Amino acid sequence: MRTSRTLGLFMIAPASIMIFLFFLMPVVLTAIFAMTNMSTATGISGGAWQVTQAAVNRLKTDLPELADGIAEPRFIIDEEGLKELETLKLKPGFAAELRAEHMGEVYPSRREAERVIKALKDRPSTREVKQISDLFNRSVLNTRFETRDELMANLKKLGFDLTPQQQDIVARATYTGWIWTTDNFRIISSSPDMAQIFFNTAFYVSVTLLLFNVGYALFLALTTHYMQASTASVFRAIWLLPRITPVVIYVLLWKWLTWDSGFISTFMSQFGYPPKNYLLDTAYNAWFFVILINGFIGASMGMLVFSSAIKAIPQTQFHASEVDGASRLQQIRYIILPQLRWPILFVTCYQTLSLLASFNEILLSTRGGPGKATEVWSLAAFHTALNNYTGNLEYGLGAAMALVLVVVGIILSLIYLRIFRYDTLISKPLIED
Amino acid sequence: MRILLDKFSKSFGSTKVIEDMNLEVASGEMLALLGPSGCGKSTTLFAVCGIHRPTSGRILFGDRDVTNLPSQERNVGVVFQSYALYPHMTVEENIGFPLMVKRAAAPDIKKQVAAIAALVHIDNLLDRRPSQLSGGQQQRVALARALIRRPDVLLLDEPLANLDAKLRLEMRSEIRRLQRETGITAILVTHDQVEAMSMCDRIAIMKSGEIVQIATPSAMYNDPRTSFVAGFLGNPPISFIKGTAFQGAFVSGDGHLKVPLAALSGISDDTPLTLGVRPEHFGTGGDIAVEGRIVFAETQGRENLYDVALPDGSVLRSIQPVRNDIKPGDQVRWMLGSDAAFIFAENGQRL
Amino acid sequence: MAEKPQPSANFSSLPVILLLTLFSLPLVLMYAYLFIDTISETPVGSLIPNEFTLRHWSFLWQTKTGKPNIWLVTLNTFIFASCITAVILTVASMAGYVLSRLNVPARGFFLAGVMVLHAFPSVTLIIAIFIVLQYIGLYNSLIGVILVKAAIDLPLGIWLMKGFYDTVPWEIEMAGIVDGASRFTVWRRLVLPQIKPAVMALGLFSFLTGWSEFILPQVLAPGAQVQVLSVYLASLIIDDNNFDFGTFKAVGVFYVVPVLILYVFFQKHLMNIYGGGTKG
Repeated sequence: MRTSRTLGLFMIAPASIMIFLFFLMPVVLTAIFAMTNMSTATGISGGAWQVTQAAVNRLKTDLPELADGIAEPRFIIDEEGLKELETLKLKPGFAAELRAEHMGEVYPSRREAERVIKALKDRPSTREVKQISDLFNRSVLNTRFETRDELMANLKKLGFDLTPQQQDIVARATYTGWIWTTDNFRIISSSPDMAQIFFNTAFYVSVTLLLFNVGYALFLALTTHYMQASTASVFRAIWLLPRITPVVIYVLLWKWLTWDSGFISTFMSQFGYPPKNYLLDTAYNAWFFVILINGFIGASMGMLVFSSAIKAIPQTQFHASEVDGASRLQQIRYIILPQLRWPILFVTCYQTLSLLASFNEILLSTRGGPGKATEVWSLAAFHTALNNYTGNLEYGLGAAMALVLVVVGIILSLIYLRIFRYDTLISKPLIED
Repeated sequence: MRILLDKFSKSFGSTKVIEDMNLEVASGEMLALLGPSGCGKSTTLFAVCGIHRPTSGRILFGDRDVTNLPSQERNVGVVFQSYALYPHMTVEENIGFPLMVKRAAAPDIKKQVAAIAALVHIDNLLDRRPSQLSGGQQQRVALARALIRRPDVLLLDEPLANLDAKLRLEMRSEIRRLQRETGITAILVTHDQVEAMSMCDRIAIMKSGEIVQIATPSAMYNDPRTSFVAGFLGNPPISFIKGTAFQGAFVSGDGHLKVPLAALSGISDDTPLTLGVRPEHFGTGGDIAVEGRIVFAETQGRENLYDVALPDGSVLRSIQPVRNDIKPGDQVRWMLGSDAAFIFAENGQRL
Repeated sequence: MAEKPQPSANFSSLPVILLLTLFSLPLVLMYAYLFIDTISETPVGSLIPNEFTLRHWSFLWQTKTGKPNIWLVTLNTFIFASCITAVILTVASMAGYVLSRLNVPARGFFLAGVMVLHAFPSVTLIIAIFIVLQYIGLYNSLIGVILVKAAIDLPLGIWLMKGFYDTVPWEIEMAGIVDGASRFTVWRRLVLPQIKPAVMALGLFSFLTGWSEFILPQVLAPGAQVQVLSVYLASLIIDDNNFDFGTFKAVGVFYVVPVLILYVFFQKHLMNIYGGGTKG
């Protein structure tokens, strides 16, 4: 028993490790990231606590007084400030008197602090008053604190005595790193933009699938079936080109075809139509070409699957049906199509998944435009998280959008697994060592 | 309906499979196309049913020229070797298919299917699918489907090849019964001489794209035109001995065996010849004694089969009622019936 | 029947050939102009070139400002595709054998996992992978994107390999074991050689998908030093200041020719795999 077992575990280990690291972990991490608000602004590692103007604005709803107070400068007569004052080589009396008379006093505004300083016995000049007061400015605005406690201690020193609840609110408002949140899902389920993208995706997947990945693929398989083998292989080779051509070049070809100085424009201008960008001028055209671009690639897999399924039908069934009087269409309708049910189901399942997830072609052709007319779910996730115009990449939201696809993907592929009964594919090893 | 092949030729690319073949099948007749594989018999059948088109020549059904007519318009029924049942349809749908594609009314189809199913004894299986049927049942379905639209011609392509021995016997008589009852003109393609002889009115025996001989089974057995025909018909097969002509007699290689034959009267001496003797004509009865040694003995139950090696090494086969007194290695002196022996020229033509 | 299966004489193939030719025309046109436009100038408003030129190919000897050297990019692409092929062949040929033949615990579970993953739309994981690579410092490195791409293509590779192994008769292995070889030796010396053509097909396929890959390098390794041809070409196209289809197409041809050569020579092998690994 031992040899084959150990060998098996040893041989499957590299695959398991790679799949775990780059497949399973990303699935889990997608779920984890989806529960955060990570973005370029928050960074992906931890954050700090900082009373930014934005944080103050956030606080205004819950703690208006505190928000106003925090935004103002605060002046505290403390040892730190006094030491600096002593090094300034002004009259020593300033520091001595402040230490003796005003140590620990907190002034909520510059005006109050300066009034006290002005009243010192050694009579500082206006310039000196300003200089001194600056040394005691203890505002937390825009100061960065590495820990929450540090922020709270400073606030306390500034005279803000906060209840634990208020502390929580302040901490949340001032934290610059990412936090756990379910907001992403709220945005996804309520935003009208998302509804539009969802609708786009459903439209794109179902139309492309129906017309090309299954429909046109069937057409190709059937037409090539009624040809000499050599002719058929030429056509199959042509229609496999979109799949084997690197996607960047393939989309380039379409751009050339549809560009305002491209083939269609030039061709139509012979008939007096002004040149225009046929790919991007209207949403209708954009969809037309997006579906063609993806459909031409998608048709090839179906073509090959259906062709080999047709080839698997015994020749005599075609002979018999012809002798029985079936016309070509009747042969297709009654003999071929009924026997392609499983291949059609297979291609439908498989291609639904790949259409849902693939955004290469749309990204390279329309980038989801014009406007957001051809933005589909996977592309939107990519745009949100990895590539957008505003520059703030929202990893969390993007991950949440991807998670939707991941969940759909898992469900569909489990269904797929059930339909195609993988258990029939495992045979017990015949050597029992 | 009469079938006529007139100077029919067929080639695939540059290979000529059949050249200038003439064949007539009389109305209501069942004819066997018999020959080894690759002889062109299936090609002929495919041309008759229209799946392939003749390269030249004509094919007539009755007086109708069907040479360039598609299969759909020829009104032929075909039973293929693998039956070619449509796996996704029930037996009923399979049988009704030829009517369905003609857009016949559903109740009408149902009635006709029921009738033909009763004729081939499968009326209890109509709801099944082909995969749920035994070989013999599938065969019957294929027959029913071929017959349902009352074809002018029934073509059978090795119909018994995929059946086990017992079923083969049963279906042999069954097909013959159906052909007789429907009075249809039929062509049976087979490489099995027993099938051809037991089922058909006449046999056309083919070799390398040509018909060598057409005759009734018994005429062909008793009067083969060539050594090929003689060798193809008969089980156990005929044995051949090489020799030469000498004074109106056949003399084997070393001169041990001498068989005077009327057919050799005009033949000059030393002409190379082949003598053909069927196993049943060598044994206890006959007019010429032949000495040899038993090299092989096999019992077939009712009869025994012996191979007798002559001194020159050639072998004669003998079939006799079971006897226990002979075993391999024994020397025997058995009789050969010279009037039943065939003599062939070097090119295989019978003299 | 001795002759090859051929279209039935009952249906003419002419109408379907005409129909399909019509449908194929746009595709043929696009690919024809892909090559024509790289070596010719076409006046504005015309479709017929009037002048031969090699101008569009100048990227081969002149590095464009702000763009990496084409030969570096080509080398990167070659390294990228080759490494992926090597990783997939090595790892998948081992794992596929285990799934096909060896007694390991939870074999069925592995197999189901591989099957789900091979249908699973892995591009959706790119966001998480991007963040992971940033964490572990493999962002903008070839090695990182090679590992990711290889891992993503691995389930399909394992699945196909398992299918290949399934076709090898058990008797060969039984004979090997009876002759005293270990299971490893049997695999290495007896079984692997049996499926050499299939392994070659998978290798070719992996190389081609690696050569063609765009989105992973674009997102995970966009830097100039590690750029691959797809990213290079995409960055050319996106640059609005130097819009020149002739040059784009020349780069495109430079990029696609190795693919086409492999495709022409090994079409038969590849067709099976592009059919989606459906043998099962």
